[in-house]
Amino acid sequence: MGKTVLVVDDSPTMRQMVAFTLSNAGFTVVEAGNGKEAMGKIGGGTKPDLVVTDLNMPEMDGITLIQEIRKNAALKFTPILMLTTESSDDKKKAGQAAGATGWVVKPFNPEQMLKVIQKVLPA
Amino acid sequence: MSTDLSHFQDAFFEESADHLATMEEGLLNLEQHPDDLDLLNRIFRAAHSIKGNSGMFGFTAVGQFTHKMETLLDRLRNGQLSVTPAIADVLLRSTDCLSSLLEAARGGAAPDPETIAKLEEELASASGGQASPAEPGQGPASAQSAVNQAIGGRHFRIRWTPPSWLFQRGLDPIQMIKELEDLGTLVSRTLDLSSLPAFDVLDSECCYLSWIFDVETAKDKSVVESVFDFVKDEGMLTIEEQAKGEGREARGDAKELTAPPQAPRPSPLAVSDSEPKPLGEILVETGVVSRETLDHALSQQKRVGEILIEQHAATPQQISQALQKQQESAIHAKKGADTASIRVDTAKIDKLINLVGELVITQSMLSDLSVRFEMSQLAVLLERVAQLERNTREIQERVMGIRMLPIGSAFSRFPRLVRDLSGKSGKKIQLVLSGEETELDKTVIESIGDPLTHLVRNSADHGLEPPDERLANDKPELGTIRLNAFHEGGSICITVEDDGRGLNRDKILAKAIKSGLVSEQEKLTDDQIWPLIFKPGFSTAEKVTDVSGRGVGMDVVKRNIEALGGTVSIKTALGKGTIFTLKLPLTLAIIEGMTVRVGSDTYIVPLLSILESIQPKAEAIKTLVGKGELINVRGTYLPMMRMYEVFSLQPEYTEPAKAILLILETEGERVAVMVDEILGQQQVVIKSMEQNFRKVDGVAGATILGDGTVGFILDVRGLLEIARRETPVAA
Repeated sequence: MGKTVLVVDDSPTMRQMVAFTLSNAGFTVVEAGNGKEAMGKIGGGTKPDLVVTDLNMPEMDGITLIQEIRKNAALKFTPILMLTTESSDDKKKAGQAAGATGWVVKPFNPEQMLKVIQKVLPA
Repeated sequence: MSTDLSHFQDAFFEESADHLATMEEGLLNLEQHPDDLDLLNRIFRAAHSIKGNSGMFGFTAVGQFTHKMETLLDRLRNGQLSVTPAIADVLLRSTDCLSSLLEAARGGAAPDPETIAKLEEELASASGGQASPAEPGQGPASAQSAVNQAIGGRHFRIRWTPPSWLFQRGLDPIQMIKELEDLGTLVSRTLDLSSLPAFDVLDSECCYLSWIFDVETAKDKSVVESVFDFVKDEGMLTIEEQAKGEGREARGDAKELTAPPQAPRPSPLAVSDSEPKPLGEILVETGVVSRETLDHALSQQKRVGEILIEQHAATPQQISQALQKQQESAIHAKKGADTASIRVDTAKIDKLINLVGELVITQSMLSDLSVRFEMSQLAVLLERVAQLERNTREIQERVMGIRMLPIGSAFSRFPRLVRDLSGKSGKKIQLVLSGEETELDKTVIESIGDPLTHLVRNSADHGLEPPDERLANDKPELGTIRLNAFHEGGSICITVEDDGRGLNRDKILAKAIKSGLVSEQEKLTDDQIWPLIFKPGFSTAEKVTDVSGRGVGMDVVKRNIEALGGTVSIKTALGKGTIFTLKLPLTLAIIEGMTVRVGSDTYIVPLLSILESIQPKAEAIKTLVGKGELINVRGTYLPMMRMYEVFSLQPEYTEPAKAILLILETEGERVAVMVDEILGQQQVVIKSMEQNFRKVDGVAGATILGDGTVGFILDVRGLLEIARRETPVAA
């Protein structure tokens, strides 16, 4: 079994692309359409080795999701990558303050995404 | 491993269409509720998603334009600006523009660059500032890494004191050390424990360590630095390049030491699928001309149409007609693209899978029974067969259901349309939608958009009166157009209702007489007069407006609806309003039919077109010279056709008094068709004649009957045409 990655994005296209990239790289992918859904998956027993989340989402946004995940003792040290289009550092800072590990800047290609994952996720 | 994401493009376009709809709907609502923050957030997220996704596919034009919209939306939702009608308007027009940009990305006609530039300017000025800079760093894949290779080993000394929160954000120094090792050789690694506090005050979740690394690598300093991307803003990090082989510290970076820079190799992603660059771009890039010179040259460029007009090769009218044609074909291309895929609620699929499971069980029970069947088990067999029938029917319904979509998607364009019509005509109009959840076949939904648009335009332009006229007639100033959809039997009804002036009998009649559609002597009932507006070339609009009244349209509406096997009817009351009712089949793939027999052949007559069936008296049939046979049905003479003559069959009866006459109606015309016997009513699946054989006059399609033989489905309209052809006017 490959490591499990929880992919959270409200855009199905983006979610599919990330899931496709990760599955191809041997990861088990769990998808969620927003923060609330993601917390539901975690509550339902999914224990991700990595979380990749968008920031702008309905119901529960990415920042709140990161804070919620960090409150969970089992996921305190789990790497969380945020997907962001922001060129400004504000969002990255806000994400990091909430407990995000790092970020992947959109647009990215599969290699770039996997490279960042390699950075934070022990093989 | 395939890493090509381009096959997600279709998903992107489909999703973007949803986002566009969300934006448009949201913006329309925003005009009513300018303070609704949820609404603003929703619109913002839709724009944001389009922006983010478009970059993934290299649709930079889309991304840049959306970025400008997003900037304005962001100010609105942050409360830095408030929603004004002007802002809503510019955003709505930008949504349209974005839609054409997406269409262009899909291979459609590109929108006018001037329109884009103008809108971008408007967006920027509405955002309260100069044009915001385009997002930097949009280009995927850096070409830089390619440059940095093939340079001999370099030596970096890294001093790193991570921020204390290192672990709390899921970062692992071991990972980073591994990454350093991957860069080249990690010559030395020194751990500094000096900041480690006494054990009793140590927080196990904090990081108190620091390191000094010596790395030898062929990579550039920026690559080494990128290892620390996620931590370099806090804590302490210095990366110094050491002159090779010596301890001497060399300050500064790559440029001083290294080989001449190589030309960057373009990333494969950046060039894949892209079109060849315009000549001008290449000339600028290679330094032959400057950007200013190019822009100037381009601005002098004339459009083909202008040149042709100048040379008197074409008139302005011809050019504008051709342009219109071009636009139409672009619209046409768009229509074709819409049918590519369908999204189905997973609940529907789950249910279907369950049903297939049941079918499999029934099938295995039946085959079990057939292996050792005895007559005593007949009752069981019949029960199983009945079960099979239930399963099959339910599966059939569910499979048809997959093609069923709520009609709301066809309605969604109307709030915007009505808003625009209201603005143009100066009439106050409210649109009330209901029954949006009513489901019907995707093909039907796609085909009714245009006819419905025409009817709504018609109601806004002809139906509703200007405000002063309404007030003078004791009506509320605000006119109402209602769109409603509901199921009725096996059909779906869509009504377009307005509370306007209603159809004017005298005006229509006068116009019809003037254009020779009816003669002055004819006495017509109301129900005969209203359908006149569907005749080609009919328009009562006193003046041709931008909205409607060009004399094309209502006939097209009727033709389109009838092509779908539907009907249009009108109810109207002078001064009160008009209701157009479209009645459409739920699906085009299955029809409700009446099976009839002629000799030993079975034909299917679409149920919708059957008015009644009669057994005539011999004396009711008259033969008129040149008009063929006519039958008197309660005082009205209808043309009569003998089916066996049309299709050259051997009938059981040749005397009408013994046979059955079906009275069929299509497009308001009626015909009596003689058959031997009516067998019964059933749903039949239509198989195309053209695809499997060839077009046959009078036959709409074929189907497989219960006994495995082929039955033909009658084309009532085609039959009427045959009747007309074969009874030429007497010489």
